[in-house]
Parts: sequence; structure tokens; C-alpha cells
Amino acid sequence: MVTVAAPLGERTASFGGLWRWGRPAGIAALILILCFLSLYPMVMLLYGSLHSTPPGIAGEFNLNGYINIATTENLVVLANTVGISLVKTVLALALAVLLAWIVARTDTPGRGVLEVLITLPFFIPPILTATAWAMLGNAQVGTINLAWRWLSGSDTTLVDVYSYGGVIWHMMQYSTPFIFLFVVDAFRAMDPSLEESSRMSGATRWQTFWRVTFALMLPVTTSAFILSFIRGIESFESAVFFGVPVGIEVITTTIYNSITQRAQPDYQSATALSFAALALMFLLLVMQSRLLRGRSFTTVTGKGYSPNITRLGRLRWVTFGLCIVFFALTVALPIGQLLLSSFFKFFGFYEADMLTLEHYRSVWENSGFWRAFGNTMLLGVVGASATMALGGIVAYVTTRTRWRGRRLIDLLAWLPWMMPGMVLGIGFLWGFAILPHGIPIYGTLWALLLAYIALGTPVAVRVTSSAYQQIANDIEECSRVHGAGWWQTLGRILIALAWPAFAVGWVLIFFGIMRELSASILLYAPGTEVLSVVMLKMWVSGKPEEVSVIGLVMLVLVLLFRWVQLKFIKKRISTL
Amino acid sequence: MLRRRALGLLAASTTLAGPARAQDDWAKVADAAKKEGKLVIYTASIGSPSLKTVTKAFEQKYGIAVELFEARASEVRERVRVEQAAGRFLGDIHHNGSTTTWLMNRDGNFQPHGPIPNIKNIVPPYEADDIRVPAEVISYALMINRNLVKPADEPKSWKDILDPRWTGKILSDDYRALGGGAVFFVVMHDTFGKEFLEKLATQKPVFSRDIQNSERRVARGEFPLYLPFSLQDTNTLKGLPIKPIVPVEGRPYVRFDLAMLKNAPRPNAARLFMNFYLEPEQQIIYANAGYNPVVKGVIEKTIEELRQLLATKALGTTVPERQDAMLEMAKQIFK
Repeated sequence: MVTVAAPLGERTASFGGLWRWGRPAGIAALILILCFLSLYPMVMLLYGSLHSTPPGIAGEFNLNGYINIATTENLVVLANTVGISLVKTVLALALAVLLAWIVARTDTPGRGVLEVLITLPFFIPPILTATAWAMLGNAQVGTINLAWRWLSGSDTTLVDVYSYGGVIWHMMQYSTPFIFLFVVDAFRAMDPSLEESSRMSGATRWQTFWRVTFALMLPVTTSAFILSFIRGIESFESAVFFGVPVGIEVITTTIYNSITQRAQPDYQSATALSFAALALMFLLLVMQSRLLRGRSFTTVTGKGYSPNITRLGRLRWVTFGLCIVFFALTVALPIGQLLLSSFFKFFGFYEADMLTLEHYRSVWENSGFWRAFGNTMLLGVVGASATMALGGIVAYVTTRTRWRGRRLIDLLAWLPWMMPGMVLGIGFLWGFAILPHGIPIYGTLWALLLAYIALGTPVAVRVTSSAYQQIANDIEECSRVHGAGWWQTLGRILIALAWPAFAVGWVLIFFGIMRELSASILLYAPGTEVLSVVMLKMWVSGKPEEVSVIGLVMLVLVLLFRWVQLKFIKKRISTL
Repeated sequence: MLRRRALGLLAASTTLAGPARAQDDWAKVADAAKKEGKLVIYTASIGSPSLKTVTKAFEQKYGIAVELFEARASEVRERVRVEQAAGRFLGDIHHNGSTTTWLMNRDGNFQPHGPIPNIKNIVPPYEADDIRVPAEVISYALMINRNLVKPADEPKSWKDILDPRWTGKILSDDYRALGGGAVFFVVMHDTFGKEFLEKLATQKPVFSRDIQNSERRVARGEFPLYLPFSLQDTNTLKGLPIKPIVPVEGRPYVRFDLAMLKNAPRPNAARLFMNFYLEPEQQIIYANAGYNPVVKGVIEKTIEELRQLLATKALGTTVPERQDAMLEMAKQIFK
């Protein structure tokens, strides 16, 4: 490794009074905030799992929730869930790392544009891509199968999205860009001298990639892997759309059944099952921590550098082709379907007499949409900024200090990610409703904002801590030696160097807020509707075409955000 | 004799004064409602244009602002439960399916609504009690793809779906979860017995829980038959090659109810709205959207194409007390 970490005790001591007096207060404040945001709703849910009735109803404490979930049926569901999530995460990680390397470290043509296009599927509401794929890949009259039969002359079926493969494929469309967003900047923020040293020592290009480039990426790849794997376990839309019709049940569909599909909702079993899943995910985190313990991953040092670009020669057209195939399959096909459908009266019925702009007009004239759009933008901007600020501080404490209590802080920040959204939403509802009436959270925008911050914090922490781990301590020390204070060093050195990661985290959280439904539907009040609730209303009332229009509006926003973001990154890299 | 005449006159005067007094009382309710100024409705009828039209008409007529909290049935129920447990009484009216309403009534989430003049116009088999007021009715039929099913092959009876020609060709809302599929399952069980359902299982119906998408899958030709089809979706799908069919035995149905939430902060506005909802002008909005109205004199005025479907026999509905047992039976039969 190129740098040796300075003793952290030494480093922190030098920040003077702020550290001595402010540290315990700061840690306490951080723990309090995180306790309220993540532990409080979890405690409500734990109560639900141990009590025969939900809060507010007389009952008794027992373990029936946990006893009831110990069935063979649930074991099969658990195996299904883990298996599906593992396969999709491994495939998505491999694909994402390859694509990130192509975009960030090779001379593949058009990679700037490709970088934006590859990430697009992540930002489309899953229900829309599911609908698009249901039309493209159903066994009977799916466009792909019809084309296949026409071309081959056979009457066989090429693809059937109502299968394990379909569930995994649909999930991968979200996981691949998600992991890609995580790793692409880490690839870029890498001093090429490390790779050059490897090559000069006689290693082949492949050995260098595997032993140096990939090895240095371990914090970011394992973080992305775990985040994505856990999200896969909590995924609902893909399974309910493509799995349930053919008998494939996963943990979230079972929880959904317990809560919404019975005359008497069984919150005890639903929450107990969620805690069982949480225990499983916690094991994963321990494994990641052990894997990374005692290793240094510093790649950004005080020395000036520009990322090493591998010249691929003719091979660059192969990598270009690969990106185009990925783009065509995950972006052009489903989004093309959405775009086309938004101009026809009915989704999937493309006849000249059905051409219309009615869906655009209808959305434009829908006052509920505009109110929700305003609320969502406000919550998105404030929520993403606040979450990144909180996540940035938490990541700093957990990765760059040895303060007592930092592990607790890390764990608290992780908790919301390990609970399925539909269950955590209930935790927030219970938690906020029983607060004293004088605290104006329940039924206001604050309830939504706090829930969004809690839900986004794990992503913010992972994104920023991965970036922090790549920055050498000598830069921070240099700042200190030149007389900068703690906040100055944080702002002008760490955040300045890690800001591409901040920007990615901000975009991920912003669009996470735009899509979040599970907590929103339980916490909104008349007047505080958000986009996801409006989209649900449109979907349920049989207007998927209008949902497509909103999906496309979201895509335009993504393109705008990503364009601005990449423009700044380019500027930053050229000045390094 | 004199005494009897006096009593007779008194009775007559009471009869004559009754409606006048009632009208007077109702005017007082309307005045009090206007003073309350606002009405908050918790509804499981998500994104319903009909509900929006009715609430707009109410706002225009009385100048009382209506706020809607829309969520799925179980979410509305949990929200009400937790709010009431926390001493937050924010909503006035609850609008949900009859099974959820029944369960919430059992849990004590409502209060008696008091006299509502238009309740007298409700027609059987729908009936109100001191808590629940029928609002509108979702009726279920069969839906076929006209391109895939010849007129001669169209099912006429529910029993026709057991014909081997439909094996593997039926797309259906899931009977093992709350919703239209569960209503269909209960009504078929009560009408034709368990054997009918066991035979239906051998037809290998494909289950889905996304109703809107299922209807379009059939319209696109993935399946020739969908059941149970909610008649209120007929208008939304106009222009697609589908056809709703109510079999000769009749239509399964599920009622939506209105109820006044416990400690409703605006009880007069709630009563006024319940009464308004039962007026023919509001009920015809629902009927023309494909719901069965609950008051007399409306179905006759419904648009022609829907009238024929809605004027069919009401075959049966769910029984809340047996709901979980029936869901369990569905799981056993349709594994």
C-alpha cells in the first residue's frame, strides 16, 4: 500500500478543545438522533413480535410469533429468498464491476453517455418495468417470443418472465445500476501508480486487475454486495409480479400475506419473520467486517494523479458492444415500451386510432399530482441533503476515528436497511402516533422526512465510508499542520475529495425518496401526499399509462441530475 | 268517543308534523355541519374518480371542504386503530369493504351515526344498521377476450368454466388472499359446494394479484378468460377486445360501507355526507361507473350497456365470520 495510516489517537487529539469537550456531546447527540430514527421504530416492531396484539390493544407477551414462523413452508420460503437474492447479486455485481471498469478505466467510445444510460433502469418505478417485461417476455404473446417464433418458424417459447429467471432478471435491472453507481467512482478515484507498480513487477493485465484493482475495491464492492443482497431479500415487486403467479413465494410476499391478505392481520408473525431475516442479515455484516478488518484500502493520496486509462485497441468496440447490449436489454426495451405506451390509449395496444396525448394532458391537469410533486421535491431535496450530512458524519466517526461508541453508531445507522420497508413503515406509524400530541410529527411532512432520513442513512453511510476509506490520512494531517480546524478539514479535505461519492449518494437517496411507498402510504395525511402515493392511486384506478408518464418525468429528472453531476466530476478530475 | 277522536287528531297532526319536524331537525344538522367546516374521510377506495366527483359535489352544495386519506383496506384499518389507541381522533368517516368494516365495528372503532333520512331508500339485499351505511357495491362477472372466444363458446353459467376447453386458460385473482378472488371463492362454495371448487382446481387457473394488469393480459390475448371481473372496470377498458359476462346464476358482490369513526371531530358533517351519498344523484354516478347502487330508482336510469349487467341477480357475498376459514380452505384446494 502506498500510505501508512497515522495513529488515530494522535490525529484526533490534535483537534484541540473541540475534540476534548465536543466529542462526548457530539457522540451522545449522534446516538440520540440515530436511536430516534432507527431504534425507536424497531423497538415498536420488536414489541409487536413479542406481543399477541399490536400496540394499543390489550394482550399478552409471548413467543407465538417466532414459534409460528418455524415451519417447513417458511424454511422453503427462506431458502427461495436467499437463493434468488444471492444469484441476482452475484450476477449483478459481476456485470456492474465489468461495466464500471469499462466506463471509468478504458477508452471505450461514448463512455460518458453510456455511464448515464446504464444507470437509468434504477430510477424507474419497478412496477413499470415489470409491466413492460410482462408484455415483452410472457410465454404466450410476449413480443420477444412472437419475434422468435416468426424468425425461427418454431412454436417454442424462448423466454418466460413468470419464472425464477424472470424474478432474478427483473431484480438485476435494479441491482446492476445500483452497484455500478457505487463502484464507478471508486474505480475513477484510484491512483494508477499502484497498478503501474504491479505491471512493472511482472504481473499480467488480468493479474493486476484481480490482485490490485479489484482488491483495492473490496470495501466498496463488499458494501455494494451486502446492500444489494439485503435489498434483494427485502425485494417485493419482482416476486409478487413474476413469482407468485407460478408459486414462487419469498419472505416479503409471506409478510405481505400476513399483514394484508387475511381478515385479521397477523402483525406478530410478520414482525417476527422480519426479525428472523434481520438476524440473517446481521451475520452478513459481521462477515464483511471480518473480511475487511486490518486491511488498508487507501487509493487517494496527497500526490497528484489522473486515473489510468487502459487502451483497449480494437477490443474497445467489443466493450462498447457489451454496454450497448446491456443498454438495449435493460433500458431501450422496457423504457421504449413505456415511452411508446404513453402515447397510446392503452398500454401495449399500438393502433393508429388509439394514438393520444390524453395521458400527458391528464397528468398535467391533475392538481393532486402537482401538489404531490411539490411535496416530493421538497422532501427529496431536504431529505437527501440531511441524510447525506448525517451519513457523512456517521461514516467519518466509524471509519476515521477510534471513538468509543462508534460501533454502536454504525449498527444504529444500519438497522433500517435490514427491515423490509413494508414492516418498517408500520414501525414508524406506531412510533410517531404514540408520541405526545405536542410534538408535531404525526400527520405532518416531518413524519415523512424523518422516515426518509432513517431509510436513506444506511446508503449514505456506505457510500461515504467507502470513499473515506480510500483517502489517505496524510492529506488530513497536512490540513491540520497548516492550521485548519476540524470542520474546515472535514469540509475542505474529506468532503471535497469524497464529494463524487456524496453526489452519487445524494442522487440515490433523492430518487429513493421519490419511489418510497411502504412508509409513505402509512404516514402521509391529506395535503402531504407524495408522488409514490399518487402513482399508486393511478395504478389501482386502472391508469398505468399515466403512471408511465410520471415514470418518464422522473427519468428526465434523472438525466438532468446525472448530467450535472458528471459534468462536475469531469471538471474535478481534470483539476486533480 | 271524544277521547278517541282527540287521540286520532293528535296522531294525524303528529304524522303531518313528523316530516316537517324531521326536515327542521335535518336543517339543523346541515347548519351544524357547515359550522364544522370540514370533513375527513378515510377510504380504501383508492383513486376512485366517482368518490372524487361525489365529494366535489358535496363541497359545492354545502361549502364544506372534504379531505381524503386513501390507502389499502388493511392500511386504513391499522391507521384508524393506532390513531384511536393514541388518542388521536382525526377522521370523521370510514369508507371500506364490508369485511373490514365488520371487523373494525367488532373492535369498537365506530360510533352510531344517528338518524339519516335517506337510509329508508336502501334496497335489499343491502341494509343499514345503526353503525354501517351501505355506500356502493362491487359486482363480479367473467371477462373474456373477444378475439379468442367465439360467441358460441362464451360461458353462460359459472359451471361452464369447468369445461376442459378452459384447462390452463383461466387467469384469476388469487382465491387465497383477501380481494375479489376470495369473494368469488366463498360465493361459489356457498352456491355450488366444495366439489365445484375442487373441479375448478383441476382446471389449473393461473393466479395473479394485480387486477389491473391481469385484465390487460387477457385483453392482449395471454389468456381467453379472467375471473372474477369487477364490473366497475368495464368503462376503463372500453375500446379493448374484452367482454364482461354475468352468468345466469347471478353476480357475486361485495359491499362498501360508510361508518362514523369513534369520537369523530365533525359528526354533523359526517351525517350530512352519509345522507348526501345515498341521494340518487350521487348513486347514479357510481352506477354509471359500473358499481351497483344501493338505493331504489337508480338502476333504471343507468347507461344502457351497464344496466343489463348491473340489473342481474345478486348471487351472494362474503361472510366476515368465515373469512379466514375460507381462505384456509382455498389454500388447501389450490396448492
